[in-house]
Amino acid sequence: MASSVASTNNDPNSVPTIPALLDARDLFCERDDRILFQALNFSVTEGQVLQVKGSNGSGKTTLLRILCGLNDAYRGTIRWYGRAIESQAEEFYAALLYMGHRVGVNKVLSPLENLRWTCSLQQQVDTDELMVALAEVGLRGFEESQCYTLSAGQQQRVSLARLLISNAKLWILDEPFTTLDSLGVKQLEALLRGHADEGGAVIVTTHHQLKVADLRELTLG
Amino acid sequence: MSETRTSTGQAFRATLKRDLLIAYKRKNDVVNPFMFFLIVATLFPIGITPEPERLGEIAAGVLWIAALLASLLAMDSLYRADYEDGSLEQLLLSSHPLYFMVLAKNIAHWLVSGLPVVLVSPLIAYMLNLPPESYLILFVTLLLGTPILSLLGSIGVALTVGLGSRGLILAVITLPMSVPILIAGTLTVQQTLNGASLLGYLAIMGAMLLAAISLAPLASAAALRISVN
Amino acid sequence: MVRPGEHDILLTSMHNLNSRQESAVQRANYMWMWFSKLGSPKWFYELSGKWLPWLVVAMSLLLVVGITWALLFVPPDYQQGNTIRIMYIHVPFASISLAFFPLMAVAGTITLVWRMKLADMVAKTAAPLGAWFTALALASGSIWGSDIWGTWWIWDGRLTSMLLQFFLLVGVISLRSALEDAEAAAKACAVLSIVGCINVFVIKYSVDWWNTLHQPSSGFSLSDQAPNPPEVWIPLVIMIFAIYLFFAVSLILSIRNEILVRERRSQWVEELVQGT
Repeated sequence: MASSVASTNNDPNSVPTIPALLDARDLFCERDDRILFQALNFSVTEGQVLQVKGSNGSGKTTLLRILCGLNDAYRGTIRWYGRAIESQAEEFYAALLYMGHRVGVNKVLSPLENLRWTCSLQQQVDTDELMVALAEVGLRGFEESQCYTLSAGQQQRVSLARLLISNAKLWILDEPFTTLDSLGVKQLEALLRGHADEGGAVIVTTHHQLKVADLRELTLG
Repeated sequence: MSETRTSTGQAFRATLKRDLLIAYKRKNDVVNPFMFFLIVATLFPIGITPEPERLGEIAAGVLWIAALLASLLAMDSLYRADYEDGSLEQLLLSSHPLYFMVLAKNIAHWLVSGLPVVLVSPLIAYMLNLPPESYLILFVTLLLGTPILSLLGSIGVALTVGLGSRGLILAVITLPMSVPILIAGTLTVQQTLNGASLLGYLAIMGAMLLAAISLAPLASAAALRISVN
Repeated sequence: MVRPGEHDILLTSMHNLNSRQESAVQRANYMWMWFSKLGSPKWFYELSGKWLPWLVVAMSLLLVVGITWALLFVPPDYQQGNTIRIMYIHVPFASISLAFFPLMAVAGTITLVWRMKLADMVAKTAAPLGAWFTALALASGSIWGSDIWGTWWIWDGRLTSMLLQFFLLVGVISLRSALEDAEAAAKACAVLSIVGCINVFVIKYSVDWWNTLHQPSSGFSLSDQAPNPPEVWIPLVIMIFAIYLFFAVSLILSIRNEILVRERRSQWVEELVQGT
């Protein structure tokens, strides 16, 4: 990641001074004989928040899953710092944090155990760090209870705690606001802002009106 | 940033630990296949004959088939919860080779579903009147063979994890594939009765296990990517 | 990377996981063009339309000659009498049945690596055909056995591994029908076919091993029948070719059918339907 500026020189589509973190060209996706999107171009640079909008069924989730490589039913090119992702898959996935509809929280494990596992797929963590993060997302006192005793919003918060710990440069978040209460919404917004300020990038689907500095919008459908 | 990144070994251990922890907390998933094994093994004397001599002849086959079915029954829980709650996506998006992550899950799964069956097999063998000289070799073949069953079953589960009801299709896919292991296992046990040398037989089973360890998780990984797609 | 007009060959496109490094793109494009031509359903439909009459003529000719020869002119076997004539049906079906898993595995690999639509159509249509051919091989073997073994079924090595192959094929077919998304089904079946292909060989060897240990003196085995005189083996060769052609014709017809279904929305299919 340190060599980002140098490697972007290969990419004719990006402005030389701001390296495009993720650059999508000419994306095309069709599902069940219906074209979800075509000739879709966009890029995200460091410090940006890209909000993907569109009506239900317009392919927002599909787009996000395509970007993180979970879905390969598309045509077009996606570049990470100007280079094809598969030539640097390890780098890309180490710098990616994805939060899907299904939050990735196992019901029988506790928030602490869940968070420890998801985080240790990417980076080394210690228990103190995890406890602090859980407390910060409002799960103090619930660290050791099994997740099926928690509400949907609380489970979502377990997943949000990952954002506090992660070193990932690119966050791809699918409807992260849905089950959160107003306090949680504010907190998440602050997290997004903070991440952008630190030079990270966010791609997020939501109907929520985001209050962030460098907000870009992409409307599907 | 990179100095805090986990090594593949650490991610492997974390996944192994997590799955063992889940099994510990969901004891039903562990106990049920085990009970199933005991019950199926009990059905044979009732259904065929309680006569010790004839039981002794079929004991190895009964134990192997019961282990095979128990392994199949246990397979379903391997990826289902992870698929439904989204953990599987996190696993696919880790920067570590999926092969090792799948292998960790398979090992954890075998430790809680296969190993208990192997451990209790001498007891069932005694109840089925298997000749005592075969106990050890039955134990060893099950020890070598049940991991292969888990690894093969994992491919079937990975292919069908997105389906609503997959109990039967999993059996149709997985059981025919298990036949070579069933053959190798039962033949090896029978050889003890003939007094033949067992080294070659065990070597074949060992080779099967090695082949399964090196290839099956690759197929499972590919299948998981397809199912999550 | 993929220009419009080239992409009709693809289930989707060569996406990022498959795309090559920049330097290799030019080289890859030649391969790509070739595959796109070979894999284009329209191209296959037209070409196979030209071949089909010839294949059908050749098949009918061989079938008529082979069956007449085998049933009327081959001398009765000194051991089996007229029962030997079943061999002329059974052996061709049995031999072609062994080709299905390798065929599906190759088609599956092409589907997974190059995402060629046509390869998946081959894999999809070959599975039910394979199940039929395997079932026919089993049935004819069983009828043959009813006379020479005195029973319709014995756990003979070949019969057993053929039966297991039949089960594996049924597994592939039911996986295909269970998965709703056509593309997921294509890839899942490709993986299962590759795994199944390896497994068929392992099954074959292990069942032979099992069989030799359980039946050290099985008396009669089908492989003992080495038809030596030319008047015995020439009609067999003719029948083998005839059944292979029968398979080719069946496969091509099913693929053409599949092409029309999958491409029903494309212009050329509409024109084709309206033209007739």
